[in-house]
Amino acid sequence: MHTLKLLATLVKLNVQQELAYRTDALIHILLNLTWLGWELLSLSILFSNTATLGGWGPGELIALLGVFRLINMLMAALIWPNTERFNSGVRDGTLDYTFLQPVNSLFLISFSRIVIWRVWDFILATILIIVGLRLSGDSATPLNVVSFLFLVASGAAIIYSLWIVMIAFTFWFTKFDNNVTILQALLEAGRYPATVYPVWLRLIVTFVVPIAVATTVPLQALRGDLQAWQVLGFLGVGAASVFVASRVWKAGVRRYSSASS
Amino acid sequence: MLRIYQRLWQVNWAEQWQYRANLLMYLMYWLVSPIVYLAVWTTVARTQGSVNGLTVNDFMTYYLTLLIVDNLTADITIHLLGYKIQDGTLSGELLKPVHPILTQTLVNNLAFKALTVMVLIPIWLGLCLLLRPDFGAVTLSSLLLSIPAVVLGFGINFLMGATLTCVAFWTTRVYSIGELYWAIIILFSGQFVPLDLMPSFIQRLAQFLPFQLFKYFPIQLILGRLSTPVIVHGFIMDVVWFGLALALFLTVWRAGLKRFSAVGA
Repeated sequence: MHTLKLLATLVKLNVQQELAYRTDALIHILLNLTWLGWELLSLSILFSNTATLGGWGPGELIALLGVFRLINMLMAALIWPNTERFNSGVRDGTLDYTFLQPVNSLFLISFSRIVIWRVWDFILATILIIVGLRLSGDSATPLNVVSFLFLVASGAAIIYSLWIVMIAFTFWFTKFDNNVTILQALLEAGRYPATVYPVWLRLIVTFVVPIAVATTVPLQALRGDLQAWQVLGFLGVGAASVFVASRVWKAGVRRYSSASS
Repeated sequence: MLRIYQRLWQVNWAEQWQYRANLLMYLMYWLVSPIVYLAVWTTVARTQGSVNGLTVNDFMTYYLTLLIVDNLTADITIHLLGYKIQDGTLSGELLKPVHPILTQTLVNNLAFKALTVMVLIPIWLGLCLLLRPDFGAVTLSSLLLSIPAVVLGFGINFLMGATLTCVAFWTTRVYSIGELYWAIIILFSGQFVPLDLMPSFIQRLAQFLPFQLFKYFPIQLILGRLSTPVIVHGFIMDVVWFGLALALFLTVWRAGLKRFSAVGA
């Protein structure tokens, strides 16, 4: 309850900040629509030249685009702005104030900056997923849809945990504040099913920077490509990664000794 | 004048080495998208033999050449200059008796390019070993012919990027416009897919726009896939657009400077 109230306050604060730059938000939404047009055009070019991409039809790729945009939103709305804040906090020592608050520091680090207009992106992604599901039609059983939704959530949790571990590393290696870029750079690989990539690239986006676990894997569950044990396995990895990340974070915080001391 | 460039090169080259750790991160951005599209299109070509006449090898050579050409013709002016106009640090450079964009910004661009290409080449060779493409169609004359195409392609890209950044004289911030411009480049330059596979109206439009001169034209030139009339058409476009871009940049720059009131002055 307390946490929810705090989150509501943070949202309110960020809305107020954003309202100062209304035109900027509007331009960003228009840009976002331009990119959507471009993404749909590239899918239509792809499918005007072929019926399936490695067995995946247009509906499935539209749903994948939706999931990709969800992960992209997570990056743009939370991870990037909070990384920036965190890095400057480490550099100038203002991070001290975060730790002095009587609240979970991980919570404050993750949610103090929220790019509000990205809510729009969330709506768009949801529409894409629903349209994609409708188009791919009959293959999706209710059980597949449920495991799809759970796997999206657990995939997002894995990306989030990876981010926490990456920024926690700054406590050990001070000159390590550029590492989040690698997440963003490899994100592009989430647009298409990882099953068509060469093996080495598939290994990288599955095990090193698990973009594919958050994008391709949920769609595979939706297509019914995954066995029950595989679905449970991925969900287990999701839960485990959150646990590991919070442990790494705690250990890092214990090492933290402000900028000036 | 040559001495000035020589000196600027030394300074900028040394400066680039300072940021070598960030370089790998930038390179990731550059590498991922062509490799993803390479994988997508070779998968399609493999399942149906060829796409519109393009074979698996055609796609591999196209995207691998793209990796290099994209780097050679890339322009980062908006990142070098945008914030300087915004926060007024441009004032210091304006005091120098040389054109700041055609000296400092240009040389900085080139130094960045030189270093990225140096790091890119071993990665590129590694990719060639993994994918084993057949570059048999590349000849010495096609390589030589592509040199002026790459140089002019970079020239146009640089001048247009600089013109776009000059919009900051009026709007202060240019990054949103920059993103829109980037979307247009991706669409018309052949970054996503060889232009032959685009809908025909986009192909026709792209022929007369400058964006294909940054990527598609030099790539196809290197790979020896263009007929003589198309090559002639491409070079005419190169010269025309270079002239237009130069004139446009000089006009906008002059008008912009009059509007420029440095922050804090």
